[in-house]
Amino acid sequence: MKRLAELKQAGHKAFVAYIMAGDGGIEKLGEQIQYLQERGVTAIEVGIPFSDPVADGPTIEAAGNRALAEGITLEKVLDEMQRFDFEVKVPLVIMTYLNPVIRFGAERFTQEAKKAGASGIIIPDLPFEHRQLIEPFAKQQELVLIQLVTLTTIDSRLEEILKQAEGFVYAVTVTGITGSRDELAEEVGAFTRKVRELSPVPVYAGFGISKESHVDMLRDDVDGFIVGSAIVQAFHEDRIEDLEPLIDAVTAPHSV
Amino acid sequence: MTRVKICGLMEEQHVKAASQADAIGFVFAPSKRRVSIERAQELSRLANNDMQRIGVFVNASYEEIENAVKAVPLTMVQLHGDEPDELIQRIEVPVIQAFSIRTPDDVEKLNNSIADYILVDAPGTDYRGGSGHVFDWSLLENVALDHSRLILAGGLNRDNVQAAISQTAPFMVDVSSGVETDGRKDEVKIQQFILQAKGDSMERTQEKTIDPVGFFGRYGGQFVPETLMKAVKELEAAYEDAKNDAEFQKEYHHYLKEYVGREQPLTFAARMTEAWGGPKIYLKREDLNHTGAHKVNNAIGQALLAQRMGKRKIVAETGAGQHGVATATICALFDLDCVVFMGEEDIKRQQLNVFRMKLLGARVESVTKGSGTLKDAVNEALRYWVTNVEDTHYLIGSALGPHPFPTMVRDFQSVIGKETKRQILEKEGRLPDAIVACVGGGSNAIGMFHPFIEDASVRLIGAEAAGDGVDTERHAATLTKGSEGVLHGAMMKILQDDAGQVQEAHSISAGLDYPGIGPEHAHLADNGRVTYEAITDDEALASVIEMSRLEGIIPALESAHAIAEAKKQAQSMTADELLVICVSGRGDKDMATYAEKLEGLS
Ligand SMILES: Cc1ncc(COP(=O)(O)O)c(C=O)c1O
Repeated sequence: MKRLAELKQAGHKAFVAYIMAGDGGIEKLGEQIQYLQERGVTAIEVGIPFSDPVADGPTIEAAGNRALAEGITLEKVLDEMQRFDFEVKVPLVIMTYLNPVIRFGAERFTQEAKKAGASGIIIPDLPFEHRQLIEPFAKQQELVLIQLVTLTTIDSRLEEILKQAEGFVYAVTVTGITGSRDELAEEVGAFTRKVRELSPVPVYAGFGISKESHVDMLRDDVDGFIVGSAIVQAFHEDRIEDLEPLIDAVTAPHSV
Repeated sequence: MTRVKICGLMEEQHVKAASQADAIGFVFAPSKRRVSIERAQELSRLANNDMQRIGVFVNASYEEIENAVKAVPLTMVQLHGDEPDELIQRIEVPVIQAFSIRTPDDVEKLNNSIADYILVDAPGTDYRGGSGHVFDWSLLENVALDHSRLILAGGLNRDNVQAAISQTAPFMVDVSSGVETDGRKDEVKIQQFILQAKGDSMERTQEKTIDPVGFFGRYGGQFVPETLMKAVKELEAAYEDAKNDAEFQKEYHHYLKEYVGREQPLTFAARMTEAWGGPKIYLKREDLNHTGAHKVNNAIGQALLAQRMGKRKIVAETGAGQHGVATATICALFDLDCVVFMGEEDIKRQQLNVFRMKLLGARVESVTKGSGTLKDAVNEALRYWVTNVEDTHYLIGSALGPHPFPTMVRDFQSVIGKETKRQILEKEGRLPDAIVACVGGGSNAIGMFHPFIEDASVRLIGAEAAGDGVDTERHAATLTKGSEGVLHGAMMKILQDDAGQVQEAHSISAGLDYPGIGPEHAHLADNGRVTYEAITDDEALASVIEMSRLEGIIPALESAHAIAEAKKQAQSMTADELLVICVSGRGDKDMATYAEKLEGLS
């Protein structure tokens, strides 16, 4: 995770890829991670399927359902990660809804996630107020609990959240659920600028990011981009090459 | 504070009765309380997440122990044989080593144990797991002993446990035969034992949660995506404000009276009383409300609140369509925009209500995901709310969801219980002995129960849906079969698999076909104030016929579950007792199901 701060200092933009673990079979997980790190992504979010993903749009929900149909569970994903026989070169962040974690046991989850080589955790339905359910265990394992901030986060709350932020801040760029969008709202630029001014850690924009035009629009106001639905869909349709220009658009050194 | 372990559990209801304990024990050694690993697994699923699950072994092999630890899974292992230190060392989870104490010399052995905890007991008589006899506690008094490792067992019961704790100051007390009657665990004794052991510090430990606002014991909270936090906080503040505003209350009651037609009678059911041959039966007539069920009580309250917050767009979910109809009705009345999400399967079985919603000007969105029932409709409504949160109020239809919804919905539905209390006092001059209501998400039941919670003499019984039977895959019996989990914004009880995936529920009644139960009910089940029983589809259908023919009242399928449970309760009640049934709605919406299922009815 320290690497993310260094990247920011060097003036490079981060590209964080989200994948749905086990979509297409658990053996795909290692393949996808290897592909993405070779392709130069900065970090990878490993998504855990859940029966009721209310923060997700149709693309990720469908991917999750495919993974569930393959019998994928949080435990299986962590086991698989512990068995990787290649070198993981980028930070891995586990993204999961809260219930599978609670069922698995919060402490056991952080221990296994650590063994699996994860550096952080994102739990979209665990608000800042209830982070005590997980954070103390995450701290013991030196895992960062990534916080989300959104267009509806009021200023006083934003400050509270950012004060404690670690790793990176997930700035949600739509008022809504995950999924590719044609356009982002005008106000997003001002929002990410505000977050970036207050944040002690890099600020990455996510939700709806799927095109170079989105990257162009926000490039100067964020430290990186998180791309989910577009990647998940491209892997599913076996055309991940299509995303290479987007990865390059973010990670290539950019003249200002 | 001293922890409590209830040991030798074999049956579901006893695991539940132990929900306020800190640990439960399964005996894997030969004993009359022995359980298989599979049985321990099943029982363990019903326990709360932070409950310690302890396996009791006597001279088992490392493989046997590890196998049980992984499979159940166990969080601690308790050893009663002559296990060598090498074995204790190899076990990954914390280990409790048991010792029998007879003389001061025996106490010496305790300090030499390498186990994490030491359990002291009187010398065994029936089997090595434990004696059931008290030993001389004073043996532990004036010796050097780390009491933070000490677990006290042997002949404890509700009467002596406090004395035992004050004399030996153990880390934990362990009881088995002391909470049994005739060799079988006894729910009442279990709960009383825990209460005695914990004393009045009980209430405080229940509030283990970070932010007690919006929690009922360990259940509740605001587990929603960050985008919704602003809206739930605003709602919390707006409701707090409205609740204490006499004008708001006046307006709400005005509509209940002039539009819904309250108050509803508490009808004496003479023929049912006679037919069942037990207590006097009274029916709380929510079926007489405008739109046909209790749902409208809540819809009015929330619609008024939404307007107060400047929101003129409403989204709702519906199962049976009763909440959807109530919401569409109120939106027509107040000229609000209305979108209702409804599962595809429910649209099929509640056609009439779909048409009513459309006629009232609402947009009905069919949800084809999952099982196409209530859970999926809530998911879609939540997604819609996340996307339209700035100008839309989510008018949730049951005592579910993130705080303040469960409290707010309960308050709006409490008119049911308040009226009932006043009416029964007028008619009978005393409170009822028992009240039965059906539970889906739990709104009519909590509205009925809440005003009676403090009245200890009134037994409260919730009837949940057993579908094809609680031992089949097809049921919605969340409190009988479910476990703690987070769904739809709250920590509650849900039906889930071992990986934490929420399971699909099944009930003939669309309104009860939901794999969760609101947080307040989950809490009331844990602390034993309300008991919950499961009623099958067939039992509910039989009750539809029975009440229709005996009283000329055709109940909703949901309400029929309460009637079926009431009939069972009546068996053990006497003629001088009073039993109230909440008839949450009328059966018009279910006529197609009735026609199909009761074909050939003569
Ligand atoms: C008539 C009737 N009773 C009961 C219910 C169950 O809901 P709750 O448990 O919230 O009262 C419904 C739900 O649709 C209903 O229509």
